[in-house]
Amino acid sequence: MTLRLLSIAFRNLLRAKRRNALAGGSMALGTAALVFASGLADGITRQLSDNLVAIQTGHLQVVVRPDDFEAQNNPFDAYGQDRLPDAAALARRIEAEGRVAGVARAVPYLFARGSAVAGSRSSVAWIVGIEPAKERELRSAQPAAEGVFLPEGDPLAVYVAEPAARKLRVGVGDAVSFIVQTPQGAVNSLDATVCGIFRKGAPWYDNAFYVTLGAAQALVDWPGGATNVKVILEDARSLSRARAAVEAAVAGARAGPLAKGTRIRVESYTEAGRFSWAIIQANQAALVMLSGFLFAAAGVGVVNAMLMSVRERTREIGTMRALGMRRSRVVRLFVLEGMALGVVSAVVGALAGGAAVAWLAATGIPMKVSSLAWMAGGDVLYPALELASLLRAVLSIVLLSTLAAVYPAFSASRLEPREALHHV
Amino acid sequence: MSRRALLVLAPALLAVPALAAPPDAATILRRADRAVLGETATYTLRMTVVRPGKPERVVEMKGWKKGDDQGLVRYTAPAKERGTAYLRSGESTWLFLPSAEKVVRVGAKQNFGGGDFSNADIFRLSLVKDYDPTLAGEESVEGEACYKLELKAKDRSIAYDRVVYWVRSDGTFYPVKADYYTLSGKNLKSLLLSQVKPIGGRARPTLMTMESRVDEGSRTRLEFLTIQDDPKLDDRLFSPTALERGE
Repeated sequence: MTLRLLSIAFRNLLRAKRRNALAGGSMALGTAALVFASGLADGITRQLSDNLVAIQTGHLQVVVRPDDFEAQNNPFDAYGQDRLPDAAALARRIEAEGRVAGVARAVPYLFARGSAVAGSRSSVAWIVGIEPAKERELRSAQPAAEGVFLPEGDPLAVYVAEPAARKLRVGVGDAVSFIVQTPQGAVNSLDATVCGIFRKGAPWYDNAFYVTLGAAQALVDWPGGATNVKVILEDARSLSRARAAVEAAVAGARAGPLAKGTRIRVESYTEAGRFSWAIIQANQAALVMLSGFLFAAAGVGVVNAMLMSVRERTREIGTMRALGMRRSRVVRLFVLEGMALGVVSAVVGALAGGAAVAWLAATGIPMKVSSLAWMAGGDVLYPALELASLLRAVLSIVLLSTLAAVYPAFSASRLEPREALHHV
Repeated sequence: MSRRALLVLAPALLAVPALAAPPDAATILRRADRAVLGETATYTLRMTVVRPGKPERVVEMKGWKKGDDQGLVRYTAPAKERGTAYLRSGESTWLFLPSAEKVVRVGAKQNFGGGDFSNADIFRLSLVKDYDPTLAGEESVEGEACYKLELKAKDRSIAYDRVVYWVRSDGTFYPVKADYYTLSGKNLKSLLLSQVKPIGGRARPTLMTMESRVDEGSRTRLEFLTIQDDPKLDDRLFSPTALERGE
C-alpha cells in the first residue's frame, strides 16, 4: 500500500512542476551548498591533521613540559622547549615495546629558535634537527621544490622552506648561517649549505629550516638531546592502545635529569596540536551554523509548496475522503510527497555539490590571503569528498523535507469531505 | 760607583721600564674595564645603526650605570621613539615601550635598539667577571701598540665563548678592539673603540663601532656625547616600576 502511495506521491510532484521545481531547486541548492561546505571543512580537517601528524607531533608525542604548562593556542605549542635527555634511546625503547600496540616508528627531533643570515639578509629561523631517514611522512608533507631532501649524516646541509629561501635570496648550494642562543645562555652558530627548498604547506612553517639532529644538538649545545619524540602508528585507530604502551615505555626508561619544574608527557596529536584543533572546531561550528540557515530556508520553501499543494487540491482531497480514504492515509500521502521531493532534490544537489568538491579536490583552491591560509592550514586548500559527509547531507535534506510536509499533511487530513467538495 | 761606571750603566737603567714584564692579564683586563666608564656613571649617547641599502637610523639616549649589573638607558630622540627605555637589574633586562605603556622582559642577548650591540654588550661592560684572561702577546692594532688578550668564558652561560681583546700597552689601558666568537668558533662580531678625547674630565675612547661578521655591511656606532663619572645614583632608579613611571 505504501509503495502505491509513494508512486502516487511521485506522480503528484509532476502535477505542479513549476512550484515543485522551485521548492526542490532550493533544496537541491541547499544540499549542494551543504556538500560543498562539508567538503571544505573535511579538507581543512584532513590538511591540518595530516600536517600536524607528519610534521610536528606524530599520532603521539613525548615531550618535556613545565608542570604549569598551558598551551598558548599557537602552532608552536606542539614543540617542546625543554631538553628531553637520551631521546634516541627513548625512541628505540618506544619502538621496541610499542610494536605490538601498533607503533610503527618513534622519531626524535630538536626544535630551536634562532636567526638565519645570508649575505646582508636575515630572517627569524625555526630550526628543526631531524633524522632524515626516519622522516618519511615529513618528506612527503613538505616535498622538495628544488634540490633534494635533507641527506642523512650531512651536518652542513639545510633544507629550507620556500618563503625563507625567498626572504634570504638563497638557492640550492648557497650558504646560510644560523645564530642561536643556547638554553644555557651562550651564543652559537652553524654555517650550512642549502641542499633543497621545500613547499611548506601551512603558513606557520614559513621560517622552517631542517638540519640533521646531530647538527642541531651541536648548535644548541645539547649533546644527545631533543625536544620531541614523535610516534607514528600503523593505524591511527589504535591510538589509545598505543598510548598506554608508549606511556609504559617512557615510565620504564631511565631518562637523564630533567630541568627543574618539568616532567615528561605523552600527548596525542589532538592534545599537542590544540591550535590546529581549534581551527577544525571553528570550521565545524561554522558548518553547523550554515546548515541551520540552509535547513531553515529550505524548510520554509517545502512547507510553502506543500500548503499551496493542499490548497490547490482541496476538491481532490474532498473526493478521496468522500470515497472513503482515511485521514491517516491522507497524511501519509502528503508526507510521502514531501519525502519524494526531498529525495529528488537531495540527489540532484549531492551530485552537483559532489562534482564541484571532486573537481576542486584535484585542482586545489589557492588561499592567497594570509588569514585564509591560516584558517585553511595551507596555502592551497584541497577539499575532501567524504562519503559520510555526502550521506549526511542527503539524509538531512530528505528528513527535513519529510518533516516539513507533516503540518501541511495534517491540514489536508482535517478537511471535511462536504466542505472540500464545495471548495472552488 | 765611579762616574765612569754610572755613564756605562745609565742607558741600561733607562731601558728598565721598557724591558719590564707587562702587567698580568687580569690586571690589564681590570684596567681596561674601567677605561671607558667608571664604576658609576651617567652619559649621553648617539647610536647610529647602519644596514646595507637602508637609511641610517640615528637615536640619541641618556644612560645611567651603577656597578656591572645595574643600567638604564632612555631614548631622548627622535621624537617618535622618545621614552623608550631599557633597564638592566641583576640578571634581568626589561624594555619599556611608551606607545604600549608596557614593561616587558627581554633577553640579555637580544639586540639593543635594533642594532648590532646586544643588551648584555651595553649593560655589562665588565669582562672581568665573565672571562678568564690570558696574555697572548703584543701587537699593533689600528696603529696602536696593544696587549693581545685571549678571554675564555668561565662557563657556557656567557654570551660569547671566546673574546680576543686588544688593549693599549702605552699605560692608558684603553681598549682598542674586541673580536667575539661563538661556541663553534665563528667570529660573530667585532668592536672597535676609537676617537680618544677628553670627555667628562679625562681622556678616553668615545666611539664604539660594533660590526657584524655574519650580516655583511651591518654595523652600529655608539658615540659618547657627555660622560659624568661617579655621580650619586639611587638604587630605586633601576627598578621596573621606575622604568614605567619614566623616572
